[in-house]
Amino acid sequence: MQPQSEHELELAELIVESLNLEDISAADIQPEEQLLGDGVGLDSIDALELALAVTQKYAVQLRADDANIQEVFGSLRSLSAYIDANSS
Amino acid sequence: MQRSRAITNRGKDEIIVHGPYGEVSVGNFIARAAKLATQLPDCRYVINLATDRYHFILGFCAAIIAGRCTLLPPNRLQHTVQQVAGEYVDCISLGEDSIDGVERFEIDFDSLAIAGSEAAIPKISLQQLCAIVFTSGSTGTPTPNHKYWETLRAGTLGNVELLLQNVSDQVNLLATVPPQHMWGLETSVLIPLFCNVAVCHRTPLLPMDIANALESLPEPRILVSSPAHLDAFFASDVAELKLDMILSATAPMSEKLAKNLEQHFDARVVEVFGCSEAGIIAKRSTAVEEPWQLSRSFAVEVNDDGTIIRAPHLPEEVILHDIIELIDEGHFRWRGRHQDMVNIAGKRGSLADLNLRLQAIPGVVDGVIFMPSADSKRLAALVVAPTLAPSDIVAQLRLDIEAAFLPRPIYKVPKLPRQETGKLTRKAIVDLFARTKRSRTTKDGDSADN
Repeated sequence: MQPQSEHELELAELIVESLNLEDISAADIQPEEQLLGDGVGLDSIDALELALAVTQKYAVQLRADDANIQEVFGSLRSLSAYIDANSS
Repeated sequence: MQRSRAITNRGKDEIIVHGPYGEVSVGNFIARAAKLATQLPDCRYVINLATDRYHFILGFCAAIIAGRCTLLPPNRLQHTVQQVAGEYVDCISLGEDSIDGVERFEIDFDSLAIAGSEAAIPKISLQQLCAIVFTSGSTGTPTPNHKYWETLRAGTLGNVELLLQNVSDQVNLLATVPPQHMWGLETSVLIPLFCNVAVCHRTPLLPMDIANALESLPEPRILVSSPAHLDAFFASDVAELKLDMILSATAPMSEKLAKNLEQHFDARVVEVFGCSEAGIIAKRSTAVEEPWQLSRSFAVEVNDDGTIIRAPHLPEEVILHDIIELIDEGHFRWRGRHQDMVNIAGKRGSLADLNLRLQAIPGVVDGVIFMPSADSKRLAALVVAPTLAPSDIVAQLRLDIEAAFLPRPIYKVPKLPRQETGKLTRKAIVDLFARTKRSRTTKDGDSADN
């Protein structure tokens, strides 16, 4: 298992808290694990709620443009990198 | 005698799609669809999985012109599509993703681009089976609903009358719901064939993407969506623009959200009531009225067995899982869903069925799945299972339940508050759920202090 970075752990905590994932602890989410569908098992409604929580916490608006929403949410690692790259 | 009707009643120069490479006129679109119809491989069924709405509509119309029936699975998951393909074996798939075991047909857009715009408008037999829309229910076993050209055409003309009266100038429509779902099919695929509506090829979900897609469209604009999508869109506060109408379906919308949306976007919010079997049945302006206005195409009968919907264009009568109170011939109040039925993200499920599946899991001694409150987005579960972790239970349920119906959270409890007769009252369940939730929160607080 790869260790989570500090930012990834913080984001994992936001995911668990904002989506009420009471059966998963933040430290259990693997950095490269797929967030939507198989893997952590989030769906598109979770994605919307998470997008809102991310905006509130990091002041970053998530965008998929015409790409598949899977690509933005991808994994803890890719989402964290997206937030780092887009926060001012 | 076979009667037939044109695939569209619109003028050839009007715009039907805002496509990836610009506007497409009705004449040009029909010419492309007719050409694509001649290229489709020999098969009876086409599973249309296209995510780009322009590609979807092109493939859908080409299939109709070619006399093929389009299959619309409840979702794009591999195993769901394979299940449908396993039953309707003489099929191909259209769309960006390929499905193992199903022949995928790649549309050659370059070959269609030269088609011009002077093709004759094809006529379709009213008896032709054009689509089978599958509803998933809670079990994931897709149930077929047959859509003949008469059903689609007459249904759409009724929908235009109900929702888009007095549209003369071009209206531009964006949908956040997929074209494969009945709500998306009726609004974003069929209405543009019978009303002066140009539909955007994109299907945005995230608020920023919805805002950008809307800004790319000229006014007047219509947004077709669901309460969950609209709730996030409003809350994110990303768009300062005018919408003429917001159409919402798939789940009940609160009066508050309707009012907020009307104020923020200076729009008319129209909520639509319907189901995959019958299509759009009624509408209301949720911000200002509670009663539903029935579409003139339908007749409603309420009797001891439930609510029955009839229409000349439906192949059979439809029984609703809703409790309805008729006000007069054209209006009704919605009094709730049949107690056993839940509706999540536009999918209908039976709680009794979900509970049977939960209780059948080895290691589960007793358990109940329920909706914690009227505005919950998800089901929850209380389970007696000394040897299992909640994650084991989810993993087992995932095997035969649609993801939307997976309960979250799952709390383990020593026993369920059953009465002597074995009956579980809703109040007892909700009370135990609240107590368990509170004690867990306190415990988490304790451990954080240590």
